[in-house]
Amino acid sequence: MSQATVARPKQNREAIFLFLPALLPVLLLSVYPLIRGIALGFTNARAGLRVDTDFIGFGNFGKLLHNELFWDSFRIGVIWTLSVTILQFVAALGLALLLNTDLKFRGVARTLALIPWAMPPVVVAIMWRLLLHPTNGPVNKVLQDLHLTDHPINFLGDFSTALPAVIVVGIWVGMPMTTVTLLAGLQGIDRSLYEAAAVDGASAWRQFWYITLPQLKTVIVAITSLDLIWNFNSFGLVYVLTAGGPGGKTMLPMLFAYNEAFRYGNFGMAAAMGDVMVVVIIVFLAFYLRNRLRSQA
Amino acid sequence: MSEASGMRTRPVARVLQYAAVLGYLVFLAFPLLWLISSSLKSPREFAAITPTLLPKNVDFSNYTNALEEQGLVRSLGNSLQISILTTILVLIVALPVSYALARFRSRLRPITNGWILVSQVFPVILIVIPLFMILRPLHLTNTIPGVVLVYLVWSLPFALWMLQGYVAAVPRELEEAAAVDGASRIRTIVAIVMPLLRPGLIATAMFTFISAWNEFFFALVLLQDPELKTLPLVLARFVGAEGQVQFGPLAAASVLATVPSLVFFAFLQRRLTSGLLSGAVKG
Amino acid sequence: MRKVVTALLAASALVTLAACGGNSDSGSGGSTEKVTLKFQSLAFQKTTVAATKKIVADWNAANPNIQVEYVQGSWDSVHDQLVTQFQGGTAPDIIHDESADITGFINQGYLADLSPYLSQATKDAVPQGVWDTVSSDGKVYAAPTLLQSYVVFANSAALKQAGISTSKELTWDDLAANAKKLTAGSKYGLGWGLKSPTATVLNLGMNFDGKFFDGTGRDAKAVIGDAELEVPKRIHAMAYTDKSIDPTSLTQSGSDVLPGFYAGKYAMVVGGNYAAQQIVAEAPKGFQWEVLPPLKGTSAKQAANPQTLSVPEESKNVKQAAQFIDYFMKAENLAAVGQGDWLIPTTQAARDAILTTTGGKDGWQQTLASGAELTKAPFQSVENYPKWKDQIATPALQEYLANKTDLSALGKKLNDGWGQVNS
Repeated sequence: MSQATVARPKQNREAIFLFLPALLPVLLLSVYPLIRGIALGFTNARAGLRVDTDFIGFGNFGKLLHNELFWDSFRIGVIWTLSVTILQFVAALGLALLLNTDLKFRGVARTLALIPWAMPPVVVAIMWRLLLHPTNGPVNKVLQDLHLTDHPINFLGDFSTALPAVIVVGIWVGMPMTTVTLLAGLQGIDRSLYEAAAVDGASAWRQFWYITLPQLKTVIVAITSLDLIWNFNSFGLVYVLTAGGPGGKTMLPMLFAYNEAFRYGNFGMAAAMGDVMVVVIIVFLAFYLRNRLRSQA
Repeated sequence: MSEASGMRTRPVARVLQYAAVLGYLVFLAFPLLWLISSSLKSPREFAAITPTLLPKNVDFSNYTNALEEQGLVRSLGNSLQISILTTILVLIVALPVSYALARFRSRLRPITNGWILVSQVFPVILIVIPLFMILRPLHLTNTIPGVVLVYLVWSLPFALWMLQGYVAAVPRELEEAAAVDGASRIRTIVAIVMPLLRPGLIATAMFTFISAWNEFFFALVLLQDPELKTLPLVLARFVGAEGQVQFGPLAAASVLATVPSLVFFAFLQRRLTSGLLSGAVKG
Repeated sequence: MRKVVTALLAASALVTLAACGGNSDSGSGGSTEKVTLKFQSLAFQKTTVAATKKIVADWNAANPNIQVEYVQGSWDSVHDQLVTQFQGGTAPDIIHDESADITGFINQGYLADLSPYLSQATKDAVPQGVWDTVSSDGKVYAAPTLLQSYVVFANSAALKQAGISTSKELTWDDLAANAKKLTAGSKYGLGWGLKSPTATVLNLGMNFDGKFFDGTGRDAKAVIGDAELEVPKRIHAMAYTDKSIDPTSLTQSGSDVLPGFYAGKYAMVVGGNYAAQQIVAEAPKGFQWEVLPPLKGTSAKQAANPQTLSVPEESKNVKQAAQFIDYFMKAENLAAVGQGDWLIPTTQAARDAILTTTGGKDGWQQTLASGAELTKAPFQSVENYPKWKDQIATPALQEYLANKTDLSALGKKLNDGWGQVNS
């Protein structure tokens, strides 16, 4: 019974049986809620005992257009997503290149570099609150010892430093996964390409630019796309770090929508915000991937 | 970079490389060191204006204090229960599906891959509100089984992604031999494929466990009963209680919450660079 | 093929079993016999938690058929938690919250009318002005338990050194003058933890007749004039003109500022009177402190925003829950939790009881006296107040207190912001 001789319909039937145990939970708890969630954005669903929910078309979206606070949070979300994704990528690429050399201790380094990945986001947030604490955190201590500042900075509480501080934490959390992926990509590059280039006398920089980067392109596009999505949708980390404060300076769109739903009880409006976020992500990804793929061709 | 270019690396560049690696490691590992050291400081040392990296005297009272906190121990139990149940269910459900995905060219394959992608793109806020409405009539809001089911569905994409690659690596010939002997498909999977998949199943199990153990958002919305709260929820609440943060016990509890994930990661790290990506590279 | 089906059936059975196996009996009992009520308490100071647990234990001993289970909640997350609990049908039978926070829940129909169940004695014990904060259309949705006012705590030694004597009154001008006198070198006259400034500004705003809102529910209009802006203006002047308030303290929480108070960095701090409990528990031995008389502008009025106990409309045991609340309202019980939290009980009998046990020491005299000046404020019956507070008022006030905008910009933001969140 070799693969080639099996008729397609039979395969389909067998596959369906193997899929069955997953099907019910996935349909009930993923596909259905997704569809219903999208639809919810077109209703005025809200908290309350025995309240009726009505279909209101684009009503929520009309209101959202004039909601400056939502767009503020959107702007913050875009700054956060782009900064974290780009800086994280640059940092991770550097580390991956280093770990791909014949340096001693790189096994240890590789293991230690995974630490942030293994930690629960809530713990990460708590830990950074300790590190950035104005009175007894080490970061302020070091800055003061180096005379970079004369008074302790309340990084997470100050209007101008809160978002940058949160971005640093975001980079820290996401680096390992990106590094590991890029490292795997690096290891998949054919050695002979470098050897040939070395024979031609190409410098390390030229080798990096003309061999490493083009060879890594698929991996880079894949991981940065995923990072973009994950960062835009992130919640727990910032929720515990700053809860969106001070004064809304770190209010990511997810936090904003969460508050709209679970603080103010406007479920329909919150879902509409989710809808807008989906559209933005899809448009952004489509644009990004199309450009990448075109330049690849 | 490659060994070829490595050979030509000048000593100055070498030193710079080591310095860079060191810089990275300080950035990535120092925070955890600080957390551990904080958890071992006595309350008085904690309040000191000039903090030191190493505690002057190692003091375990933060750990005993944290463990005396009734809610914390209970939440530890809840987290364990939820993570273990999720892991078992995910394996049961993911194994046949990933087998089918790797072996059959059925129409379900593009649909599944599409779903995996979509489930990543959609912000959870969009899903959590309807989930809430679906679980309520089933009496599953505010229950551990409800959260486990949600985790099952939301851990599946990653599990399928990983496991598929492992299944594809199992030689087909072995199964074909079994099939010739008249074994059914399920029998083949259980007797031939599963033993060969052990490393893949273990890796998937660990990943699922960690993601359930670390999860915050669904738990925040779905579990309101203080008795059912998971560890991350309790830790998050610790922080805010009227600004009166007891950092010592909080640091201790945070270290405890990190241990399981860290141990599993230590086991997993060898596979991370190879196995994890086999699914991705195949696309 | 049959085997495949059996295996799959087994697998899906497992899933279903796991799904149904857990404990889903939230509203246990059900029969007429014994009921168990969940009481979600937000008490957070050790003394109050102990006092509350004792009340529950006493009740349980006396009422074998109505058992109350103590569940620990937290002030920080109470609003989000109640929204999800109401929505999921899993709200506790007895809810602890503050009156400004439950206005929305009342309008959404989540809370039961308790007026048929509360005893006449309880109704008579609490002044009508306080009942007003939890009533709507003649229905009573909660029992008010404890009141908070904002008071000035002072380092007695520092006052003596600067030759400041405390009189019967403390006007805002006095406060500014004292703070200036007490400021020297690296020491500030006043530390004020205003990380969450809105409640403080609105409550103390009544000192100058600040209304902030006109009307109720969704029709309310924002009223931001000189009276409303007087409190932030004065705080700002002390911080940046007189330089007698430490500006960093304005970005910290109330309890973050207290270590500076003990260490002599701040001669005075302003905070909710519950901070007294923390001072008693934490301050180094020999630290002498006192509570100054209530702050006075055109009057000494502050907003009464009592802690409350209420019952969800959907609870199966509204009557029994109300009985427990009635018991909680007894003078000795309110006195016990009030004393634990250093808050003012809503009934005169309980205040008298505290005065007797404490002898009025440690600032209790002033604390209890300030209770008489607490009245209902307009913002308490405005449905979208919590949203305005989070999204508009808090950021705008933080910005102003960080000296990043001026007073007229603050007023404009507070006013325009209301239009935005209430649309």
